Amino acid sequence: MNIPKITISPRPNVGKALLAGGAVLLIVAALLAWSYDSTILGDLSISGNPAPLQEFAIVMGVVGLIEAALVHRRLTSLSWWDTTSSARALAVGTLVYIVLIDYNIAYQSGGVINLDPGAWLALVGALVMVAGSFLLAPVKVTNQLKVHGANWLEIVVITATLAALLFMVAFILRGDDGGSVLAALAAGGTFGVLLFRGGFFTWLSVAAARHRPVIMLGALVVALLFPLTQNGTDANMSIAVDIAIFLCAALGLNIVVGLAGLLDLGYIAFLGTGAYVGAMMSSAASATIGWHPPFLVVALLGALTSAVLGLIIGSPTLRLSGDYLAIVTLAFGEIFHTAVNNMDGTNGPDLTHGPNGIAGIPDLNLFGFNFGSTHNLGSFTISNYSNYYILLVLVAALIITIFSRLNNSRIGRGWIAIREDERAAEAMGVNIFGLKILAFAGGAFLAGLAGTIQAHATPSVVPDNYTFQESSFLLAAVVLGGMGTVVGVALGATVLKLLPEKLRFIEDYRLLIFGLALVLMMRFRPEGLIASRRRQLEFHDEDENLADIVQEEHVDEQKANA
Amino acid sequence: MSTATRRPRDTEFASGKGEVLLQASDVLMQFGGLTAVKDVNMTVHEGEIVGLIGPNGAGKTTFFNCLTGLYKPTSGEVRLAGEQIPPKPRKVVKAGMARTFQNIRLFGNMTALENVMVGTYCRTTSGVLTTVLRGPKFHREEKETRAKAQELLDFVGLGHTTELLARNLPYGDQRRLEVARALATDPKVVLLDEPTAGMNPQETQQASDLIFRIRDTGRAVVVIEHDMRFIFNLCDRVLCLVRGEVLVEGSPEQVQSDPRVIEAYIGTGDDDDFDDDDVQEGPA
Amino acid sequence: MTQFIQQLLNGLTVGSLYALIAVGYTVVYGIVQLINFAHGEVFMIGAFGSLATWQVVCQKSTGLWVLPIMIVGGALCSVAIALVMERFAYRPLRNAPRLAPLITAIGISIALQRAIQLWYPGATSNVPYPSIDGVTGGSLTVGSVVIQRTTLFTLGVLVVSAAALYIFISRTRTGKAMVAVSQDPDTARLMGINVDRIIAAAFAMGAILAALAGVAQGLRDSNVSSTMGFLAGLKAFTAAVLGGIGNIQGAVAGGLVLGLIEAMATQYIPGQFGGNAWSDVYAFIVLILVLVFRPQGLFGARVVDRA
Ligand SMILES: Nc1ncnc2c1ncn2[C@@H]1O[C@H](COP(=O)(O)OP(=O)(O)OP(=O)(O)O)[C@@H](O)[C@H]1O
Ligand SMILES: [Mg+2]
Repeated sequence: MNIPKITISPRPNVGKALLAGGAVLLIVAALLAWSYDSTILGDLSISGNPAPLQEFAIVMGVVGLIEAALVHRRLTSLSWWDTTSSARALAVGTLVYIVLIDYNIAYQSGGVINLDPGAWLALVGALVMVAGSFLLAPVKVTNQLKVHGANWLEIVVITATLAALLFMVAFILRGDDGGSVLAALAAGGTFGVLLFRGGFFTWLSVAAARHRPVIMLGALVVALLFPLTQNGTDANMSIAVDIAIFLCAALGLNIVVGLAGLLDLGYIAFLGTGAYVGAMMSSAASATIGWHPPFLVVALLGALTSAVLGLIIGSPTLRLSGDYLAIVTLAFGEIFHTAVNNMDGTNGPDLTHGPNGIAGIPDLNLFGFNFGSTHNLGSFTISNYSNYYILLVLVAALIITIFSRLNNSRIGRGWIAIREDERAAEAMGVNIFGLKILAFAGGAFLAGLAGTIQAHATPSVVPDNYTFQESSFLLAAVVLGGMGTVVGVALGATVLKLLPEKLRFIEDYRLLIFGLALVLMMRFRPEGLIASRRRQLEFHDEDENLADIVQEEHVDEQKANA
Repeated sequence: MSTATRRPRDTEFASGKGEVLLQASDVLMQFGGLTAVKDVNMTVHEGEIVGLIGPNGAGKTTFFNCLTGLYKPTSGEVRLAGEQIPPKPRKVVKAGMARTFQNIRLFGNMTALENVMVGTYCRTTSGVLTTVLRGPKFHREEKETRAKAQELLDFVGLGHTTELLARNLPYGDQRRLEVARALATDPKVVLLDEPTAGMNPQETQQASDLIFRIRDTGRAVVVIEHDMRFIFNLCDRVLCLVRGEVLVEGSPEQVQSDPRVIEAYIGTGDDDDFDDDDVQEGPA
Repeated sequence: MTQFIQQLLNGLTVGSLYALIAVGYTVVYGIVQLINFAHGEVFMIGAFGSLATWQVVCQKSTGLWVLPIMIVGGALCSVAIALVMERFAYRPLRNAPRLAPLITAIGISIALQRAIQLWYPGATSNVPYPSIDGVTGGSLTVGSVVIQRTTLFTLGVLVVSAAALYIFISRTRTGKAMVAVSQDPDTARLMGINVDRIIAAAFAMGAILAALAGVAQGLRDSNVSSTMGFLAGLKAFTAAVLGGIGNIQGAVAGGLVLGLIEAMATQYIPGQFGGNAWSDVYAFIVLILVLVFRPQGLFGARVVDRA
């Protein structure tokens, strides 16, 4: 794909003025009414009282002013920031954002006629910003990797980034109409691209590596505090629980696909195995096994059953080429689905109640802590779903820990070697089969574990929760987010699960979009949105340039850490 | 760089000198109708450097593949230090034999150090639990592995490349890195497949230096090479393989002067030999 | 005995369909070592293409003369899809890690299924497939065995296709080149064979056979659906493995064997685990058993990977 390069001879001073002017227009516009109808996009109808979406516009304007102020300034502490690229990203993003909102207002109120002056002014402001930003001259920046702030400052910045991310997710969760959600996404996307183009994320990746333990802990705390943003209501928390289950499964799959490089197309069956074990051994009226040990025992049994199935499927296929594994796991997924569908007493023993599934599974009770009731934490209320959410976040943290510890070890190196050149790895004494089966059965174990919790957290366990479609969603989360990275997969899983919940109108096109996204991703960015450096290299074997860059980053990082 | 000890000139070629380390008997390898290796016998003693020569397509690499378990020989057996070794690469390495490849097969996207660390895989034992729990054993072993890998990099003269990606290294360095990776498996016998292919005279000199130093650590080395000067200077004993069979075996002097060897080499240009040429693996 | 013969016929019919699809897997695999996982969808598109042809071009006539037109229409659609995916999705990935084309294949498969559901009228559930005079309708009875006309049609399609395939491979330049490439791609390239063209030809050939299978299955079941490619593709792959992947004759034989196993298991496995509900499971158990005990397939696959 060749996009013709637009060449505009730079006029930095004019550009700077236009950027600033556009930003001011935008801010002013945000204070005016955009629509006469107060029901659209959360009331944009009152002048002088900006609604959240207008507040985003103000932030964009302010950032635009800051960017304009930075043009020509040689601040040594910010010499790594790419003003021009980031300003362009900001301006274009702002334009998209405003157009989206204006379109929505016009669409809902019956025509462009019904846009109030504020909406027009915002559009003009955004256009002026775009014009200005493209007149800026390209800047040469210093290597972001070498930026090394005071430790506390770095930690504060990283924490703020995490908090902003959380805020964004919470905001999207709260949104109740597609238009607002889409607009919020556009705003989030704009700030994301702005930071990316400016070079912030390049720095962040290295800085985060410097403070890994602090960051991990910070992320965990942020995730655990999330229920507090929901004021004890359960509507969003039930979505959050779904996301958390999906995330646990995706992280487990990430060990299999991302680290060991094994394509597992039936991974959801392992989650299902855990869920069914959990359901059949629960004290539900419809449970089919008479033995009801404490949950910890059930969880272990579910995970082990899953792992044993993994061994049965994996041991014949892992000796052969990886393609066979892919197909056999796919077949296994189908076997699982057919089997739980059939075991209803007519076509097989009555274990799963067939298509009806096992319903009415009671809430978890761990050490006297009842997950079904609400608990008070100071002035905050932790609701039913919040309990599960917190448990699932802890499980996810466990999986992430296992993931990263395995990754940075003898075992992890073995996996990389296998991905690089299986025969050579074998000839160097790496236990190929053992390592593959470890990843495969280990992944199954973790999915099984998550499944046993899912059995209690969801109303009922039914076969149709565990179809090939679900497996492919999981795979999509891993691939789109970035195989072999925790952050990428977490992002992928959250986005993939959250968007369809909030953007009901894409429901029909969801599969189509995911399918095409997989194809396009493999073609243009196989390493995923947030790439593991190693994976990036593997997928771009011919790119010598990339190899040099990655190596330089690696060496810099080694020096920084030494 | 230290100067290596020259080959002890006072000994005749080493049979009967050290213990027998590697013994391949009647190794036969057939691919369909093609016999690539035919009843080859080879004995290698402790501290010995053995050369394997022969025209293109003679079956030298295939013989290495049979020794290291990459191919399962049609018949014949391979013994290492008296024990018969099964044709499974991992078991072969574990038993103490490691190799390099004619067409370099490094892990390109790993750093030089990581490549060598992979070589230590079979001599280290940290399992899942140790790794996940990060007990003291994990840290100790990781530290030792790292130190050993760095030591080996220094040994082959790549101490400065620790953090560089293998794929970014120059050709000659890649060959040496493969040697370091093989040494990391603590082998008793090292098999080198054309270690100087594509090297300039100076690098070739360094390579023979390196091979002597490997020998001086008490290991036996088997080298495949087309460069006769290199082989005859280096080896205690040379086998000449032609069309899968051992044509001549003896001291460098004996092999060098054997008319059959000369004829085999001059014969390489002939049509029937040319047919055997392996398309996939021409020397780089 | 009647039961047995009846199941034999059933097995051969289903097996013929597997065989026709399996050839597509095996040819492509033999040449580029790619499991074109989306091949099941090519089969599905072939079925829908023939249906569309019938609706639009043939004006919903039920005369026997429409059959060749439907087949051509279906084949055109499936070949077009196969060529597009080869050119734009797989070809750029030829040197990429193995994971990439597999994931691409899954993406294509999901997207195609969904596209048909969204845009083919009525395709959110089963779409009725026409009856054609002569090849559907009144069954024949031989002794006490009932033979459906579609059974005869399907078997006939397989026999004719197999013969055509044999002639194609052994007589035509393209066919011979295909075999050469699958045996030794490097040498074939050196001999001046245009490998890109051969690969495209392999995709096209597989697509034509898949479209034939699509028509046959549509006639047999009197309906088609957007999800019909998923299971059929999976089982055809099993058939290809059974026959030794890369081995064309093997794929045909593997398809028939798999069909027979399924039919016989449905009939003769007693108790709760017998019967149609489990028939898919048998096929996949066969797949796993073959991989455990004879990964090169019943008839042997070509050996790859040299050190
Ligand atoms: N996997 C295989 N399948 C079929 N034939 C093979 C295989 N491996 C090697 N051969 C054949 O065995 C013969 C010996 O090849 P080999 O690579 O061992 O020769 P070589 O002595 O190493 O030659 P060179 O000096 O060119 O490296 C060749 O004719 C080759 O084509
Ligand atoms: Mg060789």
